[in-house]
Amino acid sequence: MKKKLTFILLTTVVSMAALTACGGNNESSGGNSAQSAGGKGSADVKKLRFATWDTGDALKIEQDIAKKFEADHPGTQVQVEAYADGFDQKLAAGFGATNPPDVMYMWDFPTYHRSLEPLNSYADGDKDLNKDDFYSGLFNYATIENNLYGIPAGFTTRVVYYNKKMFDDAGIAYPKDGWTWDDFQSAAQKLTDKSKKQYGFGVRAENDTYDLQGFVWSNGGSYISDDGKTIDGFMNSKETAGAIQMFGDMLKNGSAVLTGGKGQQSGEDIFKGGKIAMWESGIWPLESFKQAGIDVGTVEMPAFPGKPVKGVVAESALSIAKDSKQKELAWEFIKYYVSSEAIKMRVADLPVRVSVVSELKKDQDPLYKPYYTMLERSDNTPAFLLNDKWNEVNRQLSAAVEAVVHGSNAQDALNQAVKDSERYLK
Amino acid sequence: MNDLLKRLRIRLQPSAYRSIRTKFLVSFLIVTIIPLLSLGAMSYYQSAKVINSQFGKYGENAVAQLEQQTSSYLNRMNQTTETIYTYLLDPAWADLGDQPPSTYSDIMDKNDLESLLKALKTDRTTGIYIITRTGYYYGENNLDVSKLTAIPAWHTMPDSQSGKYWLGFYPQSHGMNDTADAGMPVLGLAVSINNPYGALKGSKILIEENAEELLHMFKLFENDTKAHLRINDSSGRVIYETAGAFASQSSDIVWNKTIAVNGWNIESRLPAASFYRSSGIIRSNTIIVATASCLLAFGLAYLFSSRFTVRIRRLRDAMQKVSFGKLHTRTQVEAKDELGVLDISFNNMVSGIQTLVGEIEQSERLKKEAELKAFHYQINPHLLFNTLNSIQWKARLQGAEDIRQMLYHLTKVLEGNLDISQEMIPLGSELKIIEHYLKVQEIRYGPVFTYKLECEEQLKRYLIPRMTLQPLFENIFFHGFEDGQGEIGLTIREAGNHLRLILSDNGAGIPAAKLERLLLPNTEKRKGRGGLGVQNANQKFKLHFGPQFGLNVQSIHGEGTTIIIEWPKKEENPHGNGNSD
Repeated sequence: MKKKLTFILLTTVVSMAALTACGGNNESSGGNSAQSAGGKGSADVKKLRFATWDTGDALKIEQDIAKKFEADHPGTQVQVEAYADGFDQKLAAGFGATNPPDVMYMWDFPTYHRSLEPLNSYADGDKDLNKDDFYSGLFNYATIENNLYGIPAGFTTRVVYYNKKMFDDAGIAYPKDGWTWDDFQSAAQKLTDKSKKQYGFGVRAENDTYDLQGFVWSNGGSYISDDGKTIDGFMNSKETAGAIQMFGDMLKNGSAVLTGGKGQQSGEDIFKGGKIAMWESGIWPLESFKQAGIDVGTVEMPAFPGKPVKGVVAESALSIAKDSKQKELAWEFIKYYVSSEAIKMRVADLPVRVSVVSELKKDQDPLYKPYYTMLERSDNTPAFLLNDKWNEVNRQLSAAVEAVVHGSNAQDALNQAVKDSERYLK
Repeated sequence: MNDLLKRLRIRLQPSAYRSIRTKFLVSFLIVTIIPLLSLGAMSYYQSAKVINSQFGKYGENAVAQLEQQTSSYLNRMNQTTETIYTYLLDPAWADLGDQPPSTYSDIMDKNDLESLLKALKTDRTTGIYIITRTGYYYGENNLDVSKLTAIPAWHTMPDSQSGKYWLGFYPQSHGMNDTADAGMPVLGLAVSINNPYGALKGSKILIEENAEELLHMFKLFENDTKAHLRINDSSGRVIYETAGAFASQSSDIVWNKTIAVNGWNIESRLPAASFYRSSGIIRSNTIIVATASCLLAFGLAYLFSSRFTVRIRRLRDAMQKVSFGKLHTRTQVEAKDELGVLDISFNNMVSGIQTLVGEIEQSERLKKEAELKAFHYQINPHLLFNTLNSIQWKARLQGAEDIRQMLYHLTKVLEGNLDISQEMIPLGSELKIIEHYLKVQEIRYGPVFTYKLECEEQLKRYLIPRMTLQPLFENIFFHGFEDGQGEIGLTIREAGNHLRLILSDNGAGIPAAKLERLLLPNTEKRKGRGGLGVQNANQKFKLHFGPQFGLNVQSIHGEGTTIIIEWPKKEENPHGNGNSD
C-alpha cells in the first residue's frame, strides 16, 4: 500500500513538473534573446571616428582607404561617418557635446580652430609626413596665428570646362590659356541657341562667394582689406562690382543661363546634357563629365584685359579634435591619408604632394595642367582667413550676389550689403 | 479522456474474471488521471486567462504606442508649421511674394525665411517648403513643383481648403532628379496660408517627414500581432491600411485610438482566431503533457502491477503444482514483505507435508515388510513346539535333565519370540523371556556370569515392543563375552512419563568404527553378523513411538557396552493390546 502511494505521488509530481516547466520555458525565451544582442564589448579594438562631408564615389574611396588603414594596423577600427549636407551642424554638435569625431575633414579653420588640436609638434620633422613634399601655400590655409590645425589632404583650383563638340559645332576654336573675358563672352554669345535651350555659359543662382574671389582678384578687386578690418571700398569697389556684374550681364543678354535655383537643374547636369558649352568649377565634376560621355576640355580662367589672372584654392584638410582620446592613432591615420598610396586612390581631389604629381605626370596632362597653372596664380589670401566674423558678413554678400544674378545692379546691391555688414566688423 | 476510460472499461468488462493486474491498472489510472486532468485543466484555464488578458493589454499598449509615436510626428510637424505660420504673420515679411526675388533686400528676406526653414529641419524632416500660387517656392532648391501632383492627397486637396491638410503617407518623388516611383516614404502636411495682412496669402506650407521608421513600426506591430491596422482621418479617408485582403468581422478583437492633434483614428483589428492562438497552443501543450503523463502513469502502473502480480501468480502456480502432487515444488522468495512471508510459509508447509508423506510411506512399507516376515515365521510354530516338547519328553525319559531344562527354557524363549499376535508386551513378560534365555546360557556355560536386574514391580506393567531385549542379550553373549564370562546389569527406571532402560555389560565392547555405523539404516544390507539385533530393536522403538526414540549405544572397546533406551510409558489396555492390529 505504501509503495502504491509513493508511486502516485511521484507521478503527480512528475506531471506537474512537466507542466510548470512548459510554462516556464515560454516565459524565459523572450528574455534570453534580448540579452544576447548586447554581448561582447570590444575592449581590445581601438575605434577611430572619421567624419567626412563627401558622399557617393568619393565616400566609397574614403571607406576603402579606411579599410586599408585597418589592415595595416590590426586592432583598430575606423568608423567613417558621412555627415554629407549636415556636416557643419553635426560637427558643431559633436564639439558641443565634447564627443567629436577623432579625425575630420576641415576647411573652415577660423570657425573651428579652437576645437582642434595644434599639429605643429606632430608635423614638424616627421619624416613620414615630409612637409616639404606638399605644394607650398597649402599649409597657409590651415594655419591660424602660427598654429597648424590641419594637414592638407586635397585641393582644387577652379578652371573653365568646355564642351569640345559644341565648340566644333559652332565653329569656334577651343579656348587657350591667356584668353580674356571678352573672348569668353563672345564665344558664349556664339554658343547660345535659345531655340535649342542651349547656352554658352551657366551661372549659379546661389554662388559661394568664396569661389567668386578668383574673378574679383583677377579684376583687381577684393572683398576685404588686406588687414581684414575694412570692407567698405573693397567689397563694394568698382572692380569687385564689375566682376560680379559681368555674370549678371551675361544672364541679361541671354548668353548664359541661371542654374541650380528653384526648379532649375544644376549646372553640372545641364553641362552633362550638352546644353551649356562652358562651365566654371573645381576638379570635382571632371570624372562625372567624362563618364557622361562629354568630350570635355579644361582651360585656365580668362583674364580681365591688362590684369593678371588670379585663382582661388579650395582646400580640404584633415584635423584632429582637441577632445580626441586617441590623438596618436589619429595622427597615424592622417599620415596614411596623405601618403602617396592614399593620394593615388583619391581621384576626386588633386594630389597635394609634388612627388605624386610628377610621378603621375599630371602637370603635363592638358586636362589637368590648368589646375596647376591656376594654383600658381592663387597667391591671394581668402577673406575668411582675414576676419573671423567673415561668416556674418558673407550672408549679406551672398544675398547681394544672388540679387545681381537675378537682375539687380551689382554696385547698388554691394553697397547695401556693405552697409548691412559694417556692424559685424565693429 | 472519459471516452478512453469508457473504452477501457468495455474492453475489460466481457471477461468476468478480472485479474488483480487489471484492477491495479484501473485504480492506478483513476488515481493519477483525476488529479492530472484537474491540474492540467486548471493550469490551462489560468494561463490562458493570463495570456489572453496580457496579450489584450499588449495589443492595447502597442496601439497606444503607435498612437503616441504617430502623434509625436504629427505634433512636431504641426508645431513646425505653426512656427512658420506665426513667422509669416509678422508684417515685416509682407514683401515676400509669389515671384522669384531679385533685389538685395528681397533676397535677404528670402534668405532669412529659408534659414528659418532650414533651422526647423530635424533629422527626420525630408523637406520644408512654402509653395506660392505661382509655383515659386521657398526652401531648399531641390523641389520640382510640377511633380507635387504625384502626391495623391495633394491632388485631391480641395482648393478652398484652409488650415491644415494632412497628406498622409506617400513616397517622396518630387525632387529635381527624382523619378516617379522611387522615393522614400514620407508623412506630409500641407497648410494653406490664409492671413489677410501677412505675406504669401494663398501659399501652402508643405512639410514632409521621413516615415520609414513609423511605417517600420506599423510593420512590426502587424508582424507581431498579426493584426490588421487601419488609419482613417476624421472624414473617413484611409491614411494607412495593412496590405492584404481583410474582411472585418464582429468577432474581431478591436483596439482603437484616436490621435488628438488631427483626429486620425488608429484601428487595429485582430481576427478572434489569431487572438486566441497562443492560448490554443497552451491548450494543446497541456493536452500533450497530460497524455504523456497518463501514458507514463499507465506504463509505470503496468510495470509495478506486473511485478506485484507476477509473484502472486507464481505462488498460485506453485500451489497448483502441489495440488497435482508435485511435492518438491518450492516457490522463490523475492522480498521481505507480506508476499515473501506467504512464500516462506507456503514452502514450509509443502516441505512439512512432504516429510510427513515420506514418513508415512516409510512406516507403511516397514509394516508391510514385518507382516510378510511374520507370515513367514508363523508358518509352523506348532510343528516347532510339538517337536521341541517331544524332544523334551524323550530327554526326561532318558534322564537327560540338562537337555530337558534347556529345551524348556528355549521353548519359553521361543514362545515369546514366535507369538506375533502381540507387538507390544508388558515389560514383565519381556523380562521373563530374558530370564529363560539366561537359564539356557547358564546351562551352556555354567554359572560364570552375573545378571543384576533393577526394576520396580510397578514398572513391569508398562509396554515394550516384543523381542527387543533378547537380541541385545544375545549380542552380549555372542560378541561381548568370551565363554559366557562377564557381568550384565539391567536397570529400568521411571523418568517423567518415560521409561529409561540401561543395559550394561563388561564385555569386549564395540570398536569405534563399528559403533558409528551401528544404528545407520543401511546396515541391514551389511554382510556378516553382529549389530542386527541392535538395529532391529532400534527400528522397533522408532516405529512404535516415533523417530525421536530409539537406542543409545555407548561403548568403550575392551571395557564394555552400555545401551540406553528411553520410551514413553504406556499401559496395556484392559481390552487388549494398546497396539492391536
